Amino acid sequence: MIPVTSVKTLPEAYALLQARPPGLRVLAGGTDLMVAINARVGLDRIGHVLDIWNVRELRGIALQDNFLRIGALTTYTEIIHSTLVNTQLPALAAVSREVGAWAIQNRGTLGGNVCNASPAGDTLPLLLAADARFLLGGPRGERTVVAEEFFLAYRKTALGADELLLRVDFPLPDAARLAYRKVGTRRAQSISKTLIAVRATPGLREVRIAAGCVAPIPLRCRRAEQAAMSGGDVRAALQLDISPINDIRSTIEYRRLVSANVLLQLLKNMGTPYSLPGRP
Amino acid sequence: MKPTITGQPLARIDGHAKVTGAARYSAEVQISGVAYGVLVTSACARGRILAIETNDAEREPGVLAVITPKNALRLPDTKVPENDRVVQVLQDDRIVYSNQPVALVVAETLEGAMHAALLVKVHEEKEPATVRLDDEIKNAFEPEPQSASGKKSADQVRGDPARGLREAAMRIDETYQTPYETHNPLEPHATTAVWNGPDRLTVYDATQGVFGVRKKLAKMFALPTGNVRVLTKFVGGGFGCKGTPWSHVILAALAAKQVGRPVKLVLTRPQMFGMVGGRPLTRQRLSVGANKQGKLTALRHESVSTTSRFDDFLEPAASVSRHSYACENMATSHRLVRLDIATPTYMRAPGEATGGFALESAIDELAHALKMDPLALRLASYAETDPTEDKPFSSKSLRKCYAEGARRFGWAWNKRSPARADGMLVGVGMATSSYPAYFSKAEALARMLPDGTALVTSGAVDLGGGTYTVMSQVAADAIGLPMDRVRFDLGDSEMPEAPRSGGSQTAASCASAVLLAGRALRDKLVRMAVADAGSPLLGARPDEVLIENGRMTANGRTDSFADVVKRAGGAPVEERARAGPDEARKKWSLHSFGAQFVEVLVDPDLGHVRVKRLVGVFAGGRILNARLARSQLMGGMVWGIGMALHEETVYDEKIGRIMTRDLADYHVPAHADVQVIEPYFIEEEDVHVDPAGVKGIGEIGITGTAAAIANAVFNATGKRVRSLPITPDKLL
Ligand SMILES: Cc1cc2nc3c(=O)[nH]c(=O)nc-3n(C[C@H](O)[C@H](O)[C@H](O)COP(=O)(O)OP(=O)(O)OC[C@H]3O[C@@H](n4cnc5c(N)ncnc54)[C@H](O)[C@@H]3O)c2cc1C
Repeated sequence: MIPVTSVKTLPEAYALLQARPPGLRVLAGGTDLMVAINARVGLDRIGHVLDIWNVRELRGIALQDNFLRIGALTTYTEIIHSTLVNTQLPALAAVSREVGAWAIQNRGTLGGNVCNASPAGDTLPLLLAADARFLLGGPRGERTVVAEEFFLAYRKTALGADELLLRVDFPLPDAARLAYRKVGTRRAQSISKTLIAVRATPGLREVRIAAGCVAPIPLRCRRAEQAAMSGGDVRAALQLDISPINDIRSTIEYRRLVSANVLLQLLKNMGTPYSLPGRP
Repeated sequence: MKPTITGQPLARIDGHAKVTGAARYSAEVQISGVAYGVLVTSACARGRILAIETNDAEREPGVLAVITPKNALRLPDTKVPENDRVVQVLQDDRIVYSNQPVALVVAETLEGAMHAALLVKVHEEKEPATVRLDDEIKNAFEPEPQSASGKKSADQVRGDPARGLREAAMRIDETYQTPYETHNPLEPHATTAVWNGPDRLTVYDATQGVFGVRKKLAKMFALPTGNVRVLTKFVGGGFGCKGTPWSHVILAALAAKQVGRPVKLVLTRPQMFGMVGGRPLTRQRLSVGANKQGKLTALRHESVSTTSRFDDFLEPAASVSRHSYACENMATSHRLVRLDIATPTYMRAPGEATGGFALESAIDELAHALKMDPLALRLASYAETDPTEDKPFSSKSLRKCYAEGARRFGWAWNKRSPARADGMLVGVGMATSSYPAYFSKAEALARMLPDGTALVTSGAVDLGGGTYTVMSQVAADAIGLPMDRVRFDLGDSEMPEAPRSGGSQTAASCASAVLLAGRALRDKLVRMAVADAGSPLLGARPDEVLIENGRMTANGRTDSFADVVKRAGGAPVEERARAGPDEARKKWSLHSFGAQFVEVLVDPDLGHVRVKRLVGVFAGGRILNARLARSQLMGGMVWGIGMALHEETVYDEKIGRIMTRDLADYHVPAHADVQVIEPYFIEEEDVHVDPAGVKGIGEIGITGTAAAIANAVFNATGKRVRSLPITPDKLL
């Protein structure tokens, strides 16, 4: 049996993190962790579970200093219903609607998506494109890491063994708009084959592009960005950024071709007002 | 008497119980003192169990037993009944497929058993294995005639197909493939076994047929059939995978005997991939020839499908070509290939779903090659009589289905290049649907109680389609009572025997028995009344007695069923009846038919197919309840969308293991994938098919759908996808 410690406050959580029991794992909504446990994936590496679900300080959405600040434990449902998100960063509300189904949206958290660090995590390309910053905290204090420096290798992150993700901060530059498109095999409840996110200013003067499911990590696509800003061959540039694989959800060829198709669509539509991207 | 209740679109009478949770499914049966079983399954696809470490599991509190091939009770008989599936029940150390039961943990609680099951360590010795059709196709063999193909021989030839192909003005010769699929009913397989003494067994099982479960348990435990009782009151979908009892059913009974406690065993979703069957992979070659007018000159349909190393299941995919089109020169054949997989089984419209995809795609290819409207081509070879058996159809309204479907859909054949709308490619397609009308021996008992209500029973199963409701409707009409004074009960092997709910035969078989039993009861009550000195009807002629709402009237005088029973002493008055196919039925070819029309949108950037509108018109004899029948057809058509676009059981070919082992990876259509579905009926009066005039509509809805969608995708994109499912990567 694996011991579980449920905490209500950050100091309680930090106390356990400081003690560093072997095999400590954080539990938020559990929609990734419990699935893995059920499938016995990495079960033998779990020695102790720190349940942070009831830490209220980690919930909530606020607008401050031109940053949209979202607590790590904020659920997709909360994001979907947040007026702030819908007005300031509608793409994040839209992608939350495409994560799993209601049950998952009620329980799954933004922080869980980030810390799970799956290349197929649907919010992650948006966080990269939006230049989000992650506030990490632990018994040794707090620090900020930009999204791009957080994802290190396949499911490896910059999060220390004694740290929690506390909050995700999105800068809100005036002119830029964030858009994305998720491609799955069916119209709902489907794990992505590819997901492309773009943040751009009018006339594509400043462009940030990120992609999911096409590399071991959620990927910022710098070559494609350069091409988009300089009027170059975006399609060819993207192919140099990404390195997709064959798996049960898709093929290399499909991911390469469709990622480029979607990126071109998104860039083309950047001039038009934001709307929920048409789903297949 | 003319039926007045039968056919009415009544809501399910068990609907309230289902939505409130009052309806108990097999996994929810409450038995005092029950212990919980959890299976441990094999990793490799073929090999031997070297050792199983059970110490850690056995030490956990509440664990009653860890049953392995080493310590499992020996079954008196390991052979299964004829036409039943071979099971793996811990009697030897062989591993014959991945995810096979190798141990069973029994504990006081479900959680305890699940945890202990994680602690069981199985050491396997792997042997070379393959799940790839290509590796073994050289060993394809001709299967014995078996029940799946209606005991018909694997091969049939008529005329001279080679000549017919030579002389054709246009020929199509293509190979089509349908993948492994898994049924995935919402309700998991679940069995609770209770021994009442050393030789009496009661089993609550999620099954499509209580009598089949009884027979298998009685045989394997060497018990008199009458000592085994099997119950199933509600089933949350079967689609074929609950048609025969699998390993876990026997293991629940074995475990209950071994630990001396009732045992409940519920499969997890991943355990439902393999152990309880699935649709086999088929590879089908179609060679079709036609003259310039589109009349078929030759039709050859050769099917290869997969089965396990230890049991033969045949997917009769080529059978559909035997009955579909008028053609002088025809050949059909079936071959089986053994692989290191679990035995496949019947899955919604076995044969017709898979074979119909190949045949109806090939017909569309031929029409395209001839630049003909595919509907016109089908009409050019319309079979007025069964082309293989040279028999008349008992009834066939396919022509009407085509016409009505074309009208409702707005079918206007367009040879021009594909259309575009809003950046999407638009295409239309159609296909023929068909499914045999099966009818098996069934019995029912009708009983009039002194309060004037009737209880009618037959040991059928309600898979969720509405058997409780339609049988009550038929019984009410047959006896002459309103719905609320009839109760129909089912799902108990102590009741009169009914066939298993498979092959769309329950409505036909059971309704015929209920009809005959109900009428016999009504007639008996009339005879009792006219001979009863206490009855106002004394002396009336039975044939002048009119019956309505439980009252009998003749010459202005009335009596009631309730009073007849009371005057006769108050004991229920009952009649039993049996229905079943007779010699006369063999003179006919018996099938349901239909036509499906579909409009698809294809995203040229993503390769996604959206089924925008699906119209199906079906003729399946008498419709007992239009509302429930519509649901059945709609469900079948949704399955057809899944078959066309999503469903595939994917193996890791290196280790022979299914990778898509849950509903996140095994895709069925989500609500958002299903747009407009319009099922319609053509009502038929068929006096030859069975006394109830019913052909069955549980399966026909899925037949033809995948082909219609593939044909529409071709119309939209110019790409012909011959291997299901039509995933986006196949279109880019
Ligand atoms: C049926 C189903 C459908 C799904 N569909 C999608 C989908 O469409 N798109 C998608 O992207 N994902 C999907 N998921 C995955 C999952 O729901 C998301 O990744 C979700 O955001 C995870 O959040 P959680 O709170 O449940 O994480 P948990 O499972 O609690 O945790 C995930 C990981 O992050 C760590 N962690 C969590 N919070 C913190 C924190 N604050 N600090 C440090 N570490 C932390 C945990 O230790 C664990 O390793 C699906 C899952 C299921 C079961």
